[in-house]
Amino acid sequence: MTPFEVKDCALLLRMSGLSPAGNLRELRERIAGCSENVLFHHYCETTLRTTFDNPDYRNDFAVWAKLYLGDRVLAERLGILDPYTFRSLEELRTATLEVIDERLGESLMVPWARPGDELFFLESTTVVFDAGIRITQPSRLGAFIRKMTDGSVYYHFLEARRRPPFGKDDFTLWLMENEDANRPYILALASVDFYFHSLPHLRRELASVLTEAKVAK
Amino acid sequence: MSAPLSAYEGIVGSAVIRQLRRMGEKLAGARIVHVISTREGGGVAEILEWMTPLMTELGLKASWEIIHGSGRFFEITKSIHNGLQGHHVAISGKDWKVYEDVNARNFGRLRPVREEADVVVVHDPQPACLIKLCERRKGKWIWRAHIDISRPFRPVWKVLRTFAEKYDASIFSMAEFAQPLPHPQFLVPPSIDPLSEKNRDLDPAELSGARAEFGLDPDRPLLVQISRFDRFKDPIGVIEAYRIVRKVTPVQLVLAGGGATDDPEGKAVLEDVLEAAQGDPDIHVLLLPSAAHKTINALQRLADIILQKSTREGFGLTVTEWMWKGKPVIGGDVGGIRLQVVNHHTGFLVNTPEGAAHRIRYLLHHRERIREMGGVAKEFVRNNFLLTRHLREYLTLFLAIRSGKEEPILQV
Repeated sequence: MTPFEVKDCALLLRMSGLSPAGNLRELRERIAGCSENVLFHHYCETTLRTTFDNPDYRNDFAVWAKLYLGDRVLAERLGILDPYTFRSLEELRTATLEVIDERLGESLMVPWARPGDELFFLESTTVVFDAGIRITQPSRLGAFIRKMTDGSVYYHFLEARRRPPFGKDDFTLWLMENEDANRPYILALASVDFYFHSLPHLRRELASVLTEAKVAK
Repeated sequence: MSAPLSAYEGIVGSAVIRQLRRMGEKLAGARIVHVISTREGGGVAEILEWMTPLMTELGLKASWEIIHGSGRFFEITKSIHNGLQGHHVAISGKDWKVYEDVNARNFGRLRPVREEADVVVVHDPQPACLIKLCERRKGKWIWRAHIDISRPFRPVWKVLRTFAEKYDASIFSMAEFAQPLPHPQFLVPPSIDPLSEKNRDLDPAELSGARAEFGLDPDRPLLVQISRFDRFKDPIGVIEAYRIVRKVTPVQLVLAGGGATDDPEGKAVLEDVLEAAQGDPDIHVLLLPSAAHKTINALQRLADIILQKSTREGFGLTVTEWMWKGKPVIGGDVGGIRLQVVNHHTGFLVNTPEGAAHRIRYLLHHRERIREMGGVAKEFVRNNFLLTRHLREYLTLFLAIRSGKEEPILQV
C-alpha cells in the first residue's frame, strides 16, 4: 500500500457579503441564492469553527430557528438534516428550502428575530498543508488518529466527502487499496454515526472503533 | 516576557503545537508589523505581548509599533471609540484634524518599517488613518477592529469608513460586530494566555494574601466584576443587583478595574460608581494599576459569583479569563459574551440588574452547579479561546492573504 499522507487544515472564516436574515422569509431567500460554500459552512464546517461543543443542533440554521426565531418545530426539522446523506449540496439546499416552505405554509405570521439577533451568512477558506506524517500500516491508523489535530480529522474524515469520489472519507479510500485485508477497519469506520460528534469526540470514536477492529482481527 | 510554545504543550496537546510549527515553516521570514496606540491597559496590548514573540519563534519576522499622542489625541480617539459603539459624541472638524496630524507625525517616524512589511495589521480606530499616508506600501494592510461597530453613531463611522475601506482586508471578532466594507472581512475571536500572570495557577498563600490585602471576609460569598470603569460595563447595574441580593443574603461586592492611557473617561465613571456605593463597607471599589495582573487573577479565583454585566461589549476577554478559572459567568446578553456564555452550561445571560440578582441567588443556593458549569466553561475555553487557536487563525490569514487566491480550498 502507498503510505497515507496526513494533511492538516485550518479554517479562515469570513463574511459572505450576503445581508443578514431577520426573519424566516429572508432566511429562505438567502439560502436559495447563497453559494455552495456558504451552505457547506453552515452545515458542515461548524465543527471546526470556534463554537460551543454541544449545541442542540449541528447546523446554524436549526440553532438560529430555536434561539432567535423561537420556532422549535422548525429547529427540530432543520436539525435532523444530515448534509452527508445528500448526494450534492444542491440536493441539501432543496431539502432545506422544502422544510422552510412547509413551515412558512403552517405559520400564521412570519417568524422574526429581534434586531441584533439576525443570522449572518459566513463562508470560509480552508487552508490545507502537509502535516509531515506518513502512515504505512493500516493496523496503526487508530493510534495515529488518536494523536491527530482536529484539522486533520476534519479534513480526512469529513471534508473528504465533498471531494470525488463523493461521500467517501480519505481513510476508507486508502484502506480500500487492499480491501479484503482491511475489511474490518473499513467496516469499523463505516459504523460511526459521525455527524453529531464534536471533533474531539469524533477523534476518540474513530480511534476506538479501529482499535477494536484490530483486536477482533 | 511570554513563554515559548513548548510551554503550552501540556495544556493544549502536542498535536496543536506541531500544527503551529508546520504553519510557521510555510511563513518563514514573512515580515509582520502590528500597530496599536498604547502599551498599557486594554486587551489588545496584552494579545500582542504574547503573539509577537510566538510568531518570531515560529520563524516570522514579527514586531509591533505604538503610535504616540497627546492627551487631547486620546480624548478624541476615546470619543471615536465610543462613537463607533453607538454613543452620540461630538467630534469637530478640528478634532479630526488633530487625529490625522498625530497619525501623520507617527507615520513619519515609522515609515521604513511599514513600507517594507509583508503584512501590516493596524489595530482599532486610533491608528486607522495611517493607511491614507502610506502610498508606497507593497505588503497587505489589514484593519483589525476589536470593538463592536455594528450600530455606530453615523457621523463618526462616515469619517472613519473613508480610512477603513482603503485596507486590503479587515478582521472582526464576530460577524455581529462588522460593517459592510468593500474588501474581505475575516472573523477572528481573541483569546487568553493560560500562562500569563493574569491566568496562571496561584497557590493558597497568594490567594489568602490578596483576601487580606483588600479586607475581604472569607466567610461571606464574594461577587466580583473586573473591567475598565466604563459606562458600557454597567458597574452601577452591578451595584443594583448586589443590593437586591443583599436583602436576603449577606454578600460582598468587588468592582475592580484598571485605567488605560487612552481612556480619560474612566475617571468620571469611577466617581459615579463611588457615589452609587454610598460608602457601603461591603462594596470594594478598586482602581488597579495596569500591571496588577496577579491581583486580578487572585480576585477572579477568590470570587464565588462572577459578573460581566455589560450593556455593550467587544469580545469580553474578561469573561474568557473567568471561565478559564473554572467559574460560571453571569454576563450581559450582548456582544461576545453571547458567544461564550451558554445558559445553564457555562453561565447565564442577563439583561437587567434584576436578572443578574436572580441568577446570583440561584447559584448561591446551588453550589454544585457552580462546580459543574465551571468545569464545562474551562474546557470550552481550552478548546476555543486559548492563544494557540488565535495564533493559528492569524497564520491561516497570512497564508491565505499572501497567496492572493480566493478559493474555498487553498493548498499551501
